[in-house]
Amino acid sequence: MDILPSEEEQLLKNAAREFLEAEVSTALVREMELDENGYPPALWQQMADLGWLGLAIPEQYGGQALPLTYMGLVMEELGRVLAPVPLHSTMVAALTVAESGSEEQKRDLLPAVCSGSMVMTWAVIERDPRLIPSAIVQQAQPDGDGWILNGEKMFVDNFNVARSCLVAVRTAPPSDDNEGISLFIIDPNGVGVSQTPLVTIAKDKQSRVTFNNVRVTSADLVGELHNGWPIVERMLERATALLCCQMLGATRKDADMAIEYAKNRVAFGRPIAAFQSIQHMCADMILFTDGVQLLTYEALWKMDQGLSAGVEVSQAKAFANEKCEAVVRQSQVIHGGIGFMMEFDLHLWLRRVSAWTMRLGTTFDHRARIASALLDNPGKVRLGLPLPV
Amino acid sequence: MDFGYTPEQENLRREVQQFIAENVTDDVLGELETAEEGGRGVHYRELISKVAERNWIGISWPKEYGGQGGSRIEQYIVEEEFARVGVAVGGAGSGAPAILAAGTEEQKQEFIPGMINGEIIFALGFTEPQAGADLAGLQCRAVRDGDEYVINGQKMYTSAAHYATHIYLMARTDPDAPRHRGISIFLVPMDTPGITVRPLWTIQSDPPAPLGTTYGMARTNETFFEDVRVPASMMLGEENAGWYVGAMGLNLDRVGASRYLISVRRDEDIVNWVKENDFGGHSPADDPAVRDKLAELWTEAQVCRLMTMRSMSLVERGGNFTYEGSAEKVWAPEHGVHTTETITQILGPYATLLSSSEEAIDDGVFAHNVMGAFQSGINHGSVQVMRDQMARRGLGMPRG
Repeated sequence: MDILPSEEEQLLKNAAREFLEAEVSTALVREMELDENGYPPALWQQMADLGWLGLAIPEQYGGQALPLTYMGLVMEELGRVLAPVPLHSTMVAALTVAESGSEEQKRDLLPAVCSGSMVMTWAVIERDPRLIPSAIVQQAQPDGDGWILNGEKMFVDNFNVARSCLVAVRTAPPSDDNEGISLFIIDPNGVGVSQTPLVTIAKDKQSRVTFNNVRVTSADLVGELHNGWPIVERMLERATALLCCQMLGATRKDADMAIEYAKNRVAFGRPIAAFQSIQHMCADMILFTDGVQLLTYEALWKMDQGLSAGVEVSQAKAFANEKCEAVVRQSQVIHGGIGFMMEFDLHLWLRRVSAWTMRLGTTFDHRARIASALLDNPGKVRLGLPLPV
Repeated sequence: MDFGYTPEQENLRREVQQFIAENVTDDVLGELETAEEGGRGVHYRELISKVAERNWIGISWPKEYGGQGGSRIEQYIVEEEFARVGVAVGGAGSGAPAILAAGTEEQKQEFIPGMINGEIIFALGFTEPQAGADLAGLQCRAVRDGDEYVINGQKMYTSAAHYATHIYLMARTDPDAPRHRGISIFLVPMDTPGITVRPLWTIQSDPPAPLGTTYGMARTNETFFEDVRVPASMMLGEENAGWYVGAMGLNLDRVGASRYLISVRRDEDIVNWVKENDFGGHSPADDPAVRDKLAELWTEAQVCRLMTMRSMSLVERGGNFTYEGSAEKVWAPEHGVHTTETITQILGPYATLLSSSEEAIDDGVFAHNVMGAFQSGINHGSVQVMRDQMARRGLGMPRG
């Protein structure tokens, strides 16, 4: 038990911060909001050269096989500077292939991810945005030795630049044995696939993706037919935990900016940081941000130990949804009117953190999962011990 | 980052649990229940000597003063298991960190071994009628007279004063110096002539709250000092440096198992209650609003636990706190209040029933917490004072 970062972890975090603060300015963030691709390929290549794209990928496919916690630390620093790179979607998909893909799929995709030539993404969400098997209604119809996909996915991250995408579809109705969900790898540029950009408050690159008779074969199937939900569930857990890291980094920076601003902004003849109303808001911002940090890294650590972490991930996201949002709003309040000006940078953080609180599970969704683990199995609960199953 | 315990530490926890099951008898608990002597009766002393035989007392304290020179994490494990049955062991919250840090060699030899084995108990003599949150405004005077100081004044909320052997007394030694720079701390035996202790009964006292369920006690005191003479050798730290000695000692004493457990035990209790009980067939565990709220509170409680583990990790690495101790002292008590508020609205009128009522749920623990939960946000530095400290020490914000 030593929940502070180890020396190695701190070194990686420091290196990431140093690199990103030098390379990612708010001017770049603004530029990429308008860019068609949304990320600078040169920066992506630099990140590949630093080994970050393969940090958690197995060594035989060109990665470093480090724990997910390390990936989280990098993700936190990316969030801090709002780095406009498709790392989150790429890692979510690539780590799923690394865990559940066939040997051929791994060889095809993972070395390319590590070297920077393969952006990946994942498509699960449909009209009903809840991350549960029954919300997946898009069907894959058997067709000879393959399947035909029709239908739509929503909120697909970086689809416009992805070279590979994991898609969860329904291949059977739910049964006692499985949820009837299968996971396929598709080519975003393949025949019958089209996308419409979504304009979000984060000004990131998300798409509605339409499938018109898109053909996949068993070579594209990740894991077992009809039994893809457990793979999707783990993918979503990792995605959620890594998003919490990104939210944490951005929120911490947003709070830092408010604290700095309060020390310099003079009103009533003194810096507003001398007023208790401002001091107590800032103290709360630190409490909230620290809470997100502690919950998030405990979840990542549990995953790294191979322990079940569903409750921990939901705790982190439910808490982050409310508290990160509260921090960025308080930061706006401390900044006053200037914080709402387009030319002032603060809104870049506000818009992204807010958008991230709405992705990968609402507060209600995650609390329902926690409540179920807490209340629906017999046996006493004790804080700090696993819940009864 | 390592959020787990080693197999040895897991074994230690099981051993302690086993020991508690065998040795924390109804006799010990009954003695603590009556608590007029602070529970330090014959059975408690017997228990503590058995705990000492196992080398479970003062695990992380220096060997030369009777400790084990071991890990703070292991000490935490022992403290946590005992705190869960309402028994304090090993000097948690004793004020010892300040003596270890600022005391003379003689003072450490004289006090620490006794504090570890529970023979020496300190009451805290900081607060005064006119100096609570604004502690630096204290008026209790200590005037040098040869090799002694003569103390006159009044201290408030000296909770352990009626059974303590000593009091950790903050007094003004230089009335002309700036407020924070004219204060000293004295280690005063309670049997010194001129000390009078008068009981103050808290809103938890009638009927008394179930054992170990609230941070505050049924009884606290006000303590009067009239020409109390203390040898100069009993000053802790340098003359007029008492403010800083006290602040540091308090900071280290704010963290630990008992402080955090008191704020999260009700989360466990209410979840376990709604899982196993209902109101004539209606189970609050089926109500979506209740489920959402319990999940929110459980998550907040995890943050209490993790903030404590962060403090333990910092201590274990030999570091000191900038704001972390204060952060814990805001988060945990306020969480305790959130939980209590929710529980009252889950249990409705049943949460009004105190311990002496036959129909009371879990011995009235939830009803008592309506009053008790607020107390831990006030004593040892209110949550507002803690936020001031976070802003000033942690964030470098200026004084208003």
